[in-house]
Amino acid sequence: MTNSIPEIRDADFLFVIGSNTTEAHPIIAMEMKRAVYRGATLVVADPRAIWLTEVADLHLQLHPGTDVWLLNAMAHVIIEEDLVDHAFIEAHVEGFDAVAAAVADYTPEQAEQVTGIPADHIRRVARQYATTERAGIYYTLGITEHTHGTDNVYALANLVLMTGHLGKPSAGMNPLRGQNNVQGANDAGASPVFYPGYQRVTDDDARQRFEAAWGVPLSPFPGTTLPAMMEGVKHGTVKGLYVMGEDILLSEPNCRDLEEAMNRLEFMVVQDIFFNETCRFADVVLPAACFAEKDGVFTNSDRRVQRVRKAVEPPGDARADWEILCDVARGVGYPMPHYAHPREVYAEMAALCDKFAGIRHERIDQDPRGLQWPCPTADHPGTPTLHVDGPMRGKALMTPVTYRPSAELPDVEYPLILSTGRTLYHYNCATQTRRERHAPLTQPENFLQIHPWDARRLGVAHGDRIEVRSRRGAVRARAQVTKDVRKGCVWMPLHFAEARANLLTNEAGDAVTGTAEYKVCAVAVARVDQDGDEAVAAR
Amino acid sequence: MSDTFPLVIDGQTVQARQGETVLQAADRAGIQIPTFCNDPRLTPSGACRMCLVEVQGQRRLQPSCAWKAEPGQVVTTASERIEKHRAVLLSMYLADHSQDEAGQAADIATGNKLRAYTVDRDDLLPLAPVHSPRVGRADDNPYIAFDPDRCILCARCTRYCDEVEGVSAIQLVERGGHTTIGTAGMVGLLATSCELCGGCIATCPTGALFEKKADPAPDPDETIVRSTCNFCGVGCQVDLRVRDGRIAAVEAPPPGTTVNDGNLCVKGRFAYDFVHHDERLRSPLIRQADGSFRQATWPEALERVASGLKKIRDRDGGDALGFISSSRCTGEENYLMQKLARAAFGTNNCHQCAAT
Repeated sequence: MTNSIPEIRDADFLFVIGSNTTEAHPIIAMEMKRAVYRGATLVVADPRAIWLTEVADLHLQLHPGTDVWLLNAMAHVIIEEDLVDHAFIEAHVEGFDAVAAAVADYTPEQAEQVTGIPADHIRRVARQYATTERAGIYYTLGITEHTHGTDNVYALANLVLMTGHLGKPSAGMNPLRGQNNVQGANDAGASPVFYPGYQRVTDDDARQRFEAAWGVPLSPFPGTTLPAMMEGVKHGTVKGLYVMGEDILLSEPNCRDLEEAMNRLEFMVVQDIFFNETCRFADVVLPAACFAEKDGVFTNSDRRVQRVRKAVEPPGDARADWEILCDVARGVGYPMPHYAHPREVYAEMAALCDKFAGIRHERIDQDPRGLQWPCPTADHPGTPTLHVDGPMRGKALMTPVTYRPSAELPDVEYPLILSTGRTLYHYNCATQTRRERHAPLTQPENFLQIHPWDARRLGVAHGDRIEVRSRRGAVRARAQVTKDVRKGCVWMPLHFAEARANLLTNEAGDAVTGTAEYKVCAVAVARVDQDGDEAVAAR
Repeated sequence: MSDTFPLVIDGQTVQARQGETVLQAADRAGIQIPTFCNDPRLTPSGACRMCLVEVQGQRRLQPSCAWKAEPGQVVTTASERIEKHRAVLLSMYLADHSQDEAGQAADIATGNKLRAYTVDRDDLLPLAPVHSPRVGRADDNPYIAFDPDRCILCARCTRYCDEVEGVSAIQLVERGGHTTIGTAGMVGLLATSCELCGGCIATCPTGALFEKKADPAPDPDETIVRSTCNFCGVGCQVDLRVRDGRIAAVEAPPPGTTVNDGNLCVKGRFAYDFVHHDERLRSPLIRQADGSFRQATWPEALERVASGLKKIRDRDGGDALGFISSSRCTGEENYLMQKLARAAFGTNNCHQCAAT
């Protein structure tokens, strides 16, 4: 996030796109609702009616995967009606002309044809966004989990830059991080192209810095991304995996193919708190401590480094991941220091990264609000809002984007578009939340949201058992007939191991990030009879 | 116009900020005014009458939570008149409140302000207990319970549900002595817009709303550990209440002190059973020749990990290995995972799980 969570309540205009905030980030949704209660305008762009649409001024219920059309059409209106912030562009932006040329053809009227959103609504939202000072954009995986996810992000950034909504309170570009420490994992260099602190592995100066600190020569070649690694497993180029704290078989798209590939791995270690699906293919399973059983830091969506503190002992012989990793390193002959406490690990990292150089456990322990990076020195107060003195890279670069359809569109055989996502009561693979003793009361089993029009055509009634098929697999679920989804669209949560949504999803990835298209794939739905065996032919 | 201005509270000159109430100005100056219904996240309602103070020039006592501070104002927060008012008020609240054998307001782990305000007072009136016809409702939601006999109808919970959580699931229902905290049609919370955030429990000053999961009885040996929630990317601060080496409940730190401003969601507040779950991995497991797993010691398991990874590295190079780090683990652990991949195995094939 360029801005901070506490700033949200003071926003006057909130554009929430591809984020089911209430269910995925409930506390941020509370802040949004407080802004609305204060009188702010909330616009939600989402193919589904979500909890937040109930308090929104306008719901742009776009066709899945057509975000670029919507966003470019908004840019078109802003330029056409000359609502751009010329002074900001002059001072801080390059590439505006190319974007202006690219969006010239994206008229709201044509956007209406593609997205299904009335042209009037697109104009209204574009005007409100451009002319409101404290206007923030909030998005999450509904934007990025597409084969054109990077394009979606560029299109949003273009809106932010052409209207100068950067470096100001309660405005900015705010991706809401899905997991507790996504930000922190990236910050710490768990990336094939970056060392800690976003220093490129291909940068000689950076590499020398880390070689000096770690006392060994380092590879100058970028590594493979997680999706590419999974491809490598399938093709046999990746022969061994060390998996910490992820159930890849539940989380990765098209998991049936991956499951077959797992058998070809020569060696795999899985380190986790539960025996997850991936453990079935492991050679060694290492028991780890959970967050309540160890010390360290998490970094949240607004770059806030906060402490995790040990409250209880791990069960049995389970140990903290940081201790295990140090032992493994020493076991293969690397002289990992004998850290007495994670604060020493953090200090080692911070000393190598300008962005976090001023952050230490001892400082965070003094402030219940944590410290937001950049924080370059020991007396720096941290940075709630980024780019206040102009974009950090000097001039912000606008990148023109054009619409590309999603990789797999519906056809006669698979006529519906499936999107997947999270619900309020569960969290991702739900290894934690489904072990909450009351979970069955709130949400007992997997379900599929389907529009009444489609349900009627397929002979499916609310509560029926149904089978959902894609080119990659099939899962069973309970039909939830609702107008929350559009005609021709269905939606399923990803939480249920016994009915994995990712048996259906398409692993086709974004060209830049490799992030898979979890939000759009083609499926067919049919009712199954009461004993659940035989699919009833759907007309 | 200056941002602050002086007023006098209990003979002390206090700087108030524009728009501040007397209660807020006093609070910042370290003068505690007792209150039930005030929550810094909510619009003042002046409902409980506990915070009444004397304002010079005003004939009646005024609620300091709603009374705006003004330049030169002279306020008294403790006097014979105020104490007399509070004694009567507290006596009436207590008469209509569930009491223990000693005739005191119920003692509960999450705190009962009525008990705190009354337990040491000797000026309470001997009022006969009132059995008000207030009722709770049958509710099969798994987390949030309501005891009408501990409710003082300050409406913090319903205002929180309106103003902060923004779902308006609960409300004051009925009239007069029947007034209670309910839902439209008195249906269970699962049938309403309730998100089960439990914020109503946290804001309740008398423990009338309480957690079904946690033991409501106080435990003097309980410890509280401040940490960060392990679910989504908001980074809510949590206070883990630990009893006998187990997490007994999760609470939000006080409003205004952390990023989550005293709020938590259903996952952060209630989904902690996994920590002490029977299915937690307790020892390392090693695959045997017949394909099954057996329990192993750490030295055995670490030796197997080292030899398995080293064999591939030495034969095919470090790039034949993949290291999947975790956005669920700490920053330090992610640092160590990439250091392991890069320094010990010479490969940049390290990526965190949320990359896809």
